[in-house]
Amino acid sequence: MTAPDAQVDSALRERVVEAMTTVLKRLVEREEPITEDMQMADELGVSSSLGLELLLEVEEQLGIQIDVERMRPDELLTVGELATFIAGHSRPW
Amino acid sequence: MTALDAVSVYTPAFRVPLEDLADPLGLTDIQVRLFRRFHGLDQVRFDPDRSPAELLRAAVEGLAELRGQEHRVRYVIHGRAMPVVVPYPHNPLHDVCRELGLGHALAFTVTQQSCASGLLAVELAGRLLARDPDDALALVLTGEKAFTRHARLIPGTSLFGEGASACLVSANGPRDRMLSFVCAQRGEFDGEFGDREEEFQRQYRPSLAEVINRAVADAGLTLDDIRLVLPHNVNVVTWQRLCSLMDFPVQRVLLSNVPDHGHLFCTDAFANYRTARERDLLREGDHYLVATVGAGAGATFSAMVFQH
Repeated sequence: MTAPDAQVDSALRERVVEAMTTVLKRLVEREEPITEDMQMADELGVSSSLGLELLLEVEEQLGIQIDVERMRPDELLTVGELATFIAGHSRPW
Repeated sequence: MTALDAVSVYTPAFRVPLEDLADPLGLTDIQVRLFRRFHGLDQVRFDPDRSPAELLRAAVEGLAELRGQEHRVRYVIHGRAMPVVVPYPHNPLHDVCRELGLGHALAFTVTQQSCASGLLAVELAGRLLARDPDDALALVLTGEKAFTRHARLIPGTSLFGEGASACLVSANGPRDRMLSFVCAQRGEFDGEFGDREEEFQRQYRPSLAEVINRAVADAGLTLDDIRLVLPHNVNVVTWQRLCSLMDFPVQRVLLSNVPDHGHLFCTDAFANYRTARERDLLREGDHYLVATVGAGAGATFSAMVFQH
């Protein structure tokens, strides 16, 4: 369930992508750049538990709360798709 | 039709906050924060002073409907997650039966479906009773100690607490009647076949959704007919995502015991039933579903539909 682009704050999405790529590099111990088109599970090896750790760190870095109730992980396969969801389904805390 | 005649639950008053479990269980700061933020855990119940037999006895003592009916009990079935809980030749189940005037009953334990063994015990009780006289009863017990790190923690998923339940089952009772039971045993997730954890995680929700849908269909119902789901208390996020997958409102899943109890092995279903009754969440005629997953040697996904 990815939010339509029209509902997404593009500045927030940019910050989400930046935070996600920084955190992901550390979590999966990767030196090379991480791009939006990369598959989280298949290319980066992000497990479901590592995915939650990613969400928690993004929340804490950006001071947001992600609406995980509405998240369908099976439909959020790439870094960019997850970033779009987070930007469209989060609120400041 | 198998029915639950009465349910009693014992949950210890002693609560341990999540943060206090970090040291004994070797949890990192981020693991604690994840448990709190996404898994919805807050505290876990323990009873350091009670033995396994004393936990079971505490649950049975709360079952007022059993008093005076002990002679009707033909089977006492302990549904338990852990295969071994005391050294041979001790047997807490037989001790409890003797002490409570149930020494005549056939008493045995099922552990083959891990945390789903409680539902297995109910189904088994119904099948055994079907061949007995109408007034025969079975007593299903759950309850065990979270006594090792392995028994207290599923890394990244859940924390176990202690509690016990006693459930009186009849073949034709008028109260909570079992309309269907579906159980999928998945031997391919046994650790002996290699590390299947990632695949198990990937298939967890779709597999549970499948048995839930089958149980609802077997009961001649649709998901819209299910007033309430009594879940296993593995964590909150799993149920949120499962509901999203099934298009079922998470508000109709009784998750309030997750932060208060932790995951009580086979006892969750019965503890959640008691909570539903105490809060008057079930009206006469309502359909409700109990679902759980047992993971140990292989995995079992189970769902039962009842009419209250």
